[in-house]
Order: sequence, then C-alpha cells, then structure tokens
Amino acid sequence: MTPAAQRSRLAAGRRRFDLLGLASRLAAGVVVGSAAALLGFLAWRFVQLGLGGAPQGPGSAGGWEAIGAAAAGTAWLVVLTGALALPAGIGTALYLEEYVRPKTRAASALQAALANLCGAPSVIYGVAGLAFLVHGLSLDRTLATGALVLAALALPPVVASTTEALRMVPDDLRTAAFGLGATRWQVVRHQVLPAAAPGIATATCAALARAAGAAAPLLVVGAASMATFAPSGPASPLHSLPTQAFAWAARPQTTFAAQAAGAALALLAILLGIHLAALLFRRRWRRSIPPAQALRATPALREARR
Amino acid sequence: MNGGSLATRAGRPGARADRVAGRIFLACTLLAAGTAATLLGVMAAGTGQFFWEVSPWRFFTGSSWAPFAEDPRFGVLPLAAATAQITAGAIVVGGPLGLLSAVYLEYYAGARARRAGTAAVALLASVPTVVFGYAAVGAVAPVLRAIAPGGGNGAGGASATIVLGLAITPTVAFLAREALAGVPPRLLQAGTALGASRGQVVARVAAPAAARGLAAALLLATARATGETMIVAMAADARAELAWSPVEGARTLTAFLAQANLGDASPGSLDAQAVLAVATLLFVVTCAVHAAGRALRPPRQPAPPGPRLALSSAAGRNGSAAMSEGPGS
Repeated sequence: MTPAAQRSRLAAGRRRFDLLGLASRLAAGVVVGSAAALLGFLAWRFVQLGLGGAPQGPGSAGGWEAIGAAAAGTAWLVVLTGALALPAGIGTALYLEEYVRPKTRAASALQAALANLCGAPSVIYGVAGLAFLVHGLSLDRTLATGALVLAALALPPVVASTTEALRMVPDDLRTAAFGLGATRWQVVRHQVLPAAAPGIATATCAALARAAGAAAPLLVVGAASMATFAPSGPASPLHSLPTQAFAWAARPQTTFAAQAAGAALALLAILLGIHLAALLFRRRWRRSIPPAQALRATPALREARR
Repeated sequence: MNGGSLATRAGRPGARADRVAGRIFLACTLLAAGTAATLLGVMAAGTGQFFWEVSPWRFFTGSSWAPFAEDPRFGVLPLAAATAQITAGAIVVGGPLGLLSAVYLEYYAGARARRAGTAAVALLASVPTVVFGYAAVGAVAPVLRAIAPGGGNGAGGASATIVLGLAITPTVAFLAREALAGVPPRLLQAGTALGASRGQVVARVAAPAAARGLAAALLLATARATGETMIVAMAADARAELAWSPVEGARTLTAFLAQANLGDASPGSLDAQAVLAVATLLFVVTCAVHAAGRALRPPRQPAPPGPRLALSSAAGRNGSAAMSEGPGS
C-alpha cells in the first residue's frame, strides 16, 4: 500500500461512524436503566399494593411485623456470620501469607483450594450444611445453624481477598520492620495490617453482604417460610429476609407480592448499610494510619534508589 | 512497641505475644482447612454412596430425572441440558452488555457518566439474586407474556434467562474493565498517533491486548451463571412447591437443589444421596470453569508509579468498589 493510500484509509477510518461507541453507549444505558428500573419496580410494587391490611391466608402473617421479624433474623445472621467468618478468615490469610515463610507446599495448596472454593455456588453450601449439620449432627434449623452455613460460605472469599490485600503491601515495610528487631506479630500488627486494612475492610464487607443476601443455602437448610415473632436469639427458628421474600413471592395473592417487595427493599437497605460501613472503615484507616503515607512514598523511593 | 520489657522476660520483647498470635492464626487456618475438608468430604461421601446404588452410566446418560417417583429414574441429562441452555442464554445477554459497558466506562465516558455508570454496575452487583428473581417473575415475565401470549412456562424460562444475563452483567463489566485498565497506555497512544479513531484503537489495539482478561471475565461470569440458583428457581417455573412432576421442562441443576429440602428426602435415603450427587456435579463444573477463568486472569499488580495517561477524555481514574467474581445465591 502506498503511503498516500494508507493515509486516506486512515482518514476514512477517522471519519467513519463509530459503531463501537454507539453500541457501548447503548449497553451502558441498558445497565444504568435496568438498575434504575429494578429499584423503581420494587418501590412501585411496594407503594401500589400497599401494606394497608395484613395478607390473609392459612398460617400466614403479614404487615410490618413480619418484615421486621425477618429483618431481625437477617441482622442476627449477619452478626453471627461476621463474628465467625471474619476473624477466622483474616487469621487464616495472615497465617498462610505472613507466618508460613518460606511458603510450604501445604500452605500454597490450602490457599489454592480456598481460592477455588470461592467459585462454588452458594447452594452447594446449603446442600452440604443440610447433609452434615441437620442430618448428620442433628442440629435444629436455628439461626445459629444458618449462621454456620453462611460463615462457611463467606470464609473462602474473606481468606482470598485478605490474602490479596496482604500481597499488595510492599515487602519493604516488612523488611524494614524486621531489620529494626520487630517480632513477626509486631510487624503484622503495626505495619502490615494498617497498610492492608482498607483493602481488607472493603473485601470482607463485600463477602459479608453477599452472605447476608444469600437465599439459596438457607432455603436448602430449611428456613421457616412463615414466622411471625421476632427472633430472641441464635436458638430461634431460622428465618431471614431473602428466604422470606422468596416465600412471599411464591404465593399467588397480590398482597404477598407487596410483602416480598417490602422484604426486598429492607434487604437492600441492610446491604447498603454494610457497604457504607465498609466505606467508613476505609476512609478512617486511610486517613489516620501513618504507614499508609509510607506506602504512598514507596514508588518514589524505589525510583530514587535506581 | 508492646509486649514485655527486656529486663523481665527472656528473649526479645514481644516474643510471647508473637507466639500466642502465631498459635491463634494457626488455629484459624486449621478451622478453615477443616471447613473445606468437611464440605468436600460430605459431598464425596454422599456421591460415593449414590454411585454404589446407581451406576454412573445411568446417571450421566439417562434422559429422565424423577428421583421421587415410584420407579425412580436418575438421568441427570435433562437438568444438565436446562442448565446449559439457560447459562448460554444468559451469556448471550450479559456478555455483550458487560463487555460494551466496560468499553464505554473505560474509553468513552466523561467523568460524570463514568461515576454514574460505575455506581449502577456496583448497585446491580450487590443486588441479591432473590430480588432479581422477584423482578423476573413480577416485571419481566408479564412483559414477555404480553409480547408472545400463551408462552406460559416458556416465558418463565425466557425471563429467567434475560434476568440472569442482567445479573451477571456487573461481573463481566467489572472484570473486563479491570482487564482494559491493564492495557499499557503507550499502546493506545501509539494507535492514536497513527491516526486511528477511538473506535479503531479500542477494537484493534485495546481489545486484543486485553483478550486474556476479557476471556477470563466471560468464563468467571459463566461459572457464576451456572451456579445461580434463586433466579432460576423462582422464574424458570415460577413455583416453589410441587415441581417434582416430570412435565416441568426448564428445571436446572440448581433449581433442583433449591427444592431439595422441600421434598421429604429422609437422611441417608437414596433421594438425599441423589441431591448430593447433583451438588457434586454442579460443584465440579462450576469450579472447573471458575479455575479456568482465574488462570486466565492477569495477576493484580500494585499500582505503577506516575500518572496514568488514558485515552479517555476524563483525567484520572476513580477506583471502583471492590467486587469479587464469586457466585451469588
């Protein structure tokens, strides 16, 4: 091709209508539109059908109390799951990433296994929980049992994302602290954890939010479909917003559809709360901990050393 | 520095705290390993018992699935076929949507549009799938039935496919954006310097350079769609109970599992083992696809020094909310 032909071809390309641009704009529009439509649909259903009268039916319960009871169940589940999965997951990641050095084959294998478990569908955890906890160990279908299942579900993502956050911490920090005579725990406590904290907070809150919204495992383990009383503790019958929304949505009466929309909105509110908490943690730690500044300086230091 | 003082305790200051912390973390690790081993062990044991009773040949080639019938049949093909069909449909819907919106957010959007788009993607990513399932039944299925009346269950299956596609769109978009962001800016600048238009640079330079990451995004989204339960359980036949009859068509592996507790499968019975066998099959398939996607995904690096020169009109990039590629419920 002569240079002139090449130039004219490129000029034609420049002038040509940008199909990709149009298509990508459309796609982004569809994504934004469907997010808005989803929220709009829930709100519209909720308002249109209203919660004026409690739905009538055999063994049914309705109104705000039922949504509140389910929300309390979900709150219990979130607290218990967090109390189980977060310390265990972060501790595991710290051990495998910071304490086992040089890394053994067993540690790498466990990390790989946990990373692969992140890809397992949540319903699997329900099936295994039903077989092991309910059928095997004869546990009752309580909030505590549900929390055990959700903690097993949240554990692999917490380990994987904490590991990733720990790997983002430059080795210079560790080397310098060890050089000053710090013990491994002091290095972890004062250097590594503060530097990795924003990443850990974001990712663990995401894992917790996913566990809070998970309906399938609780459904399989056996959540009560109609509970009227707010749970009084971990030994109360298992019920939650997601499973309640599922049970209400499956009923033919229209009033239950409003209940389901209400439960869905309440669930979204709880998830928003968890994400906001993550945001606040991230902000706080990013501002207040000095090593974060050391982290920012590191690339420049590396440049200077060359 | 915390820990004991040098004078009162042998060894370095803080040695005892170090030992205690190490033991606590070791206990956590053993707990996590035990959890994973229990999960795998329970499923392997149930599957082994199942295949003791039912030959794997009948399981994998049988064309009828009726574990609770008088004369139980354990052919998993109908479930697997429904899963494959709905997953493929969801990728057809969600793949292009996710890839194109990633291209838009990365290369075309201005600062405000990018913020709004990122927020919408993050919102969709955090919506629990039971809510998607509710929207599929309540909003999408009626529209589809109005367009093609008499669809009945077919409209249900179609609505599940479309909504599942929407549900995996954020996964694709987030991972594809990560892949596109990893393309070295000098490649884009070289393309622009040669006189290529923005569309040409994106299609001929950025997309090939990020091909591995884009493929990883699609694979990880496929794994998620395969394991997706609630949307399919709610919308593919829109009924929670009484779906054991063989006339029901679009029942996926996950939809069967979601109803496993509603049937009265007594502990240790062949039914309960069949549930575990299906769960194991699903687990193996999703984990294989997920592992393939993870292997393709380029490793995350700490941010390189210096400002990033992007093709985009917007200066600077705002970090998007961390979102993992794992499956929802």
